[in-house]
Amino acid sequence: MLKTPSTRALLLLACLALLFVALPFFVGPYGIKFATRLIILSIFVVSLDFALGLAGLISFGHAAFFGVGAYAVYFVSSDEGAANVFVALGAGVGVAAVCALVIGAFACLTRGFYFIMVTLAAGQMMFSLFHDTDIAKGADGAYINIKPDLTILGHTLIDFDDRRVFFYVCLALLVFTVVALYMLARTPFGRVVQGLKSNETRLSALGFDAYRFKLAAFVVSGAFAGLAGALFACIDGFVTPDLFSWHQSGLAIMMVVLGGAGTLFGPILGALFYVSLEETLKTASLVGDFVSSHWLLGTGAVLVIAVLLSPDGLAGFLRNAARPAKKALLQPLGDAPAEPRRASILATKDLAKTFGGLRAVDGVTISFEPDLVHAIIGPNGAGKTTFTNLLSGALKPSAGEVTVDGVNVAGAPAYKIARRGVGRSFQRTNIFATFTVEENCRLAAQARHPSVVRLTERLSGSEQAKVAHALTVVGLADKADTIAGAMSNGEQRQLEIAMLIASGGSILILDEPLAGMGPEETRRVIDLLRDLKKNHTIVLIEHDMDAVFAVADTLTVLALGRLIAHGTPDEVRRNEEVITAYLGGHAPEIETEGAKS
Amino acid sequence: MSLVLVQILNGLQYGLLLFLAASGLTLVFGILGVINLAHGSFYMLGAYLAVTLTAQFGDIFVALAVGIPLAFVFGAAIEWLFIRHLYKRDHLQQVLLTFALILVFKEVQQTLWGNHPLSIPTPSYLSSSISLTPDLGYPVYRFALMGICVALALAMMFVIQRTRVGRLIRAAESNPEMVEALGYDSRILYRMVFAAGVALAAAAGILAAPIESAYPGIGDRVLIISFVIVVIGGIGSIRGAFLGALLIGLADAFGKVFVPEFSSVLIYAVMALILVVRPSGLFGRA
Repeated sequence: MLKTPSTRALLLLACLALLFVALPFFVGPYGIKFATRLIILSIFVVSLDFALGLAGLISFGHAAFFGVGAYAVYFVSSDEGAANVFVALGAGVGVAAVCALVIGAFACLTRGFYFIMVTLAAGQMMFSLFHDTDIAKGADGAYINIKPDLTILGHTLIDFDDRRVFFYVCLALLVFTVVALYMLARTPFGRVVQGLKSNETRLSALGFDAYRFKLAAFVVSGAFAGLAGALFACIDGFVTPDLFSWHQSGLAIMMVVLGGAGTLFGPILGALFYVSLEETLKTASLVGDFVSSHWLLGTGAVLVIAVLLSPDGLAGFLRNAARPAKKALLQPLGDAPAEPRRASILATKDLAKTFGGLRAVDGVTISFEPDLVHAIIGPNGAGKTTFTNLLSGALKPSAGEVTVDGVNVAGAPAYKIARRGVGRSFQRTNIFATFTVEENCRLAAQARHPSVVRLTERLSGSEQAKVAHALTVVGLADKADTIAGAMSNGEQRQLEIAMLIASGGSILILDEPLAGMGPEETRRVIDLLRDLKKNHTIVLIEHDMDAVFAVADTLTVLALGRLIAHGTPDEVRRNEEVITAYLGGHAPEIETEGAKS
Repeated sequence: MSLVLVQILNGLQYGLLLFLAASGLTLVFGILGVINLAHGSFYMLGAYLAVTLTAQFGDIFVALAVGIPLAFVFGAAIEWLFIRHLYKRDHLQQVLLTFALILVFKEVQQTLWGNHPLSIPTPSYLSSSISLTPDLGYPVYRFALMGICVALALAMMFVIQRTRVGRLIRAAESNPEMVEALGYDSRILYRMVFAAGVALAAAAGILAAPIESAYPGIGDRVLIISFVIVVIGGIGSIRGAFLGALLIGLADAFGKVFVPEFSSVLIYAVMALILVVRPSGLFGRA
């Protein structure tokens, strides 16, 4: 998650800010214009970093929002008089936000490579729209004859025609952008957005609608890009379709990564570095005629080397050395904060899933009653994991029903089932590896109010208590500040259980929670399950037969996708069909082989 | 009616060219997992190779025969120098490095060939037209071009489906670790695949040169259209790239006639529509 910048970084930023504040007193009009351009570029790349670095949305069409922001100023300006500053900038932000909403609505359906390509194509589409048609004078570009100003009662307070005033306005807006996005990243909303980058599957399983959060982050990012575009239009009063070009988007990504993605201040350094590099290489008196006439070659070469050598960007050099984790931040709490039960009975009816010709789950009808631990066992390939994926919504059933307290949820997306109070852990550990242990649980606790518009921690008093409780009961309270990805596999599995507890789910589906745990940890988790079942419905898939027989109240046996036995452990132990089909005549305590099912 | 016929032919011809370019891209992404923004530059390289080689040997087909191996070697060198460092890196860094390569290639092109569009002669024996209807002719070169594209496409399909190396390529796409564990040197395999992708893009560039001529920025358009095709067809799917390329070729040809101002927008609209129905493309894995 986004860290507070290190002292060194803050110092550097403060020096840069001072330098820029003083700049207009030392340089001429050309210098001011150059610095203004750099500042506006910085706003643009910082806005991109919010989508790219924090939310993990690699937008390769961000110039589209920059471009429409600029064109919006052209459209609200007339030849008769200056447009109001607020109208002009507001139009830029608003139009860009709407644009981001429409493009994002498509793009956020996809992920990874597809997302990059869809945003790239969307940017090119905007380029074609303004280049090939007569909108705003087409390919030639168009002039804004009178730049926006702010006039109240006949007094002109801000005039964008005044280079110096415009420079300071841009500088102030850059500071505003960085601070606003930084604060947004620290809200509950921002926490989920950063969870998107870290682990989208986990986020959905906790009950967050990942699509909406992606879209919201994309729109925020696009809106600030629009602000940058609107300001850019006011530098020369000229807009051209080239603003939309994918080279712009590519350069912006370049600056973000050069500076350090996901830091919000790094991209400013990246922009500064890139622009300085380009200017230096273009200046014949510094580098000689040959280099300056082939400056693009030099720029490309430096960038290739930078990418190969420094994956973390310039901000990587300003990072604090890893601090030892603070200890015992959290007050150990005895009892869980009282909370109404959200769901009791999870049941299936004739549930089936086929993959091609294979019937992985074949007509399973079962009901998991509250306040019990229900274990599901079966040989490898029995369909156990497929079954849990159907229960949690990770897979859509081919036929049949999944009901939570009688309501059919079959085919609903994972986040909707999670919101009914069904939490799950995954066979392969599934946490937010870049978050600290506490942040992981905070995100889980926050899932009870999964609205996109959540910008304050107002509801979080009880959430804090939930987090402390969850970490205490799984025995991770003293690791609250550790980065989750740095812990052992066993500890990560404990964290996953803590997240389920913190999320407040009442029906817990645990897929091999004991895999990778030592005897001490196993004992703790078994005790924990016994304790949890007092007010939870627990569905447990486990290969450790000793643990299963120690904790399970009912036992369900799956083989080849079909349910072959269901009852108390003793009944199942004596069931002839189970003995022949699965236990093969051996005592049930003998462990089954392998981990994959 | 004759207009429709001509546009169908134009669309097919453009689509087949695009297929050559896009199939290289989809192979490289599907197997190497690398987003190669510099792919358009290899198309550009082909177009300019056509200029130089045709001037040298006097015939575009000789240029093709010489150009493809040259491009293959060039591609292998680029892979060895840059691309192989990207296999373990994330998409973002791949995007960056290949974007930086575009800047370099662009500058090299301007230094070697200059900024003016250069035209490439159509071979004299193919400069006539075939009469399709009494008042409608269609250039023979374009038919020849379609024929060569189809032949190259069939050759590629044959290599991938029927040969030992093709089996390895398909295996590497499905599970690269396993291919390595079985004792194959995936480094060589990857280098060959990347070089083949470069050669395919360059072949498309050479073949298109007599029609489009060679000019700076020729690669950009092809790059983005190729990406659209890969997305429509589904990453790694040659079949998908083939269908997608023909679809886009036809959409472009008809768009230019019926909605000239919006013909480029139309292409992206087709893509958006397909992605809404199938978010991972026509033949992509979900």
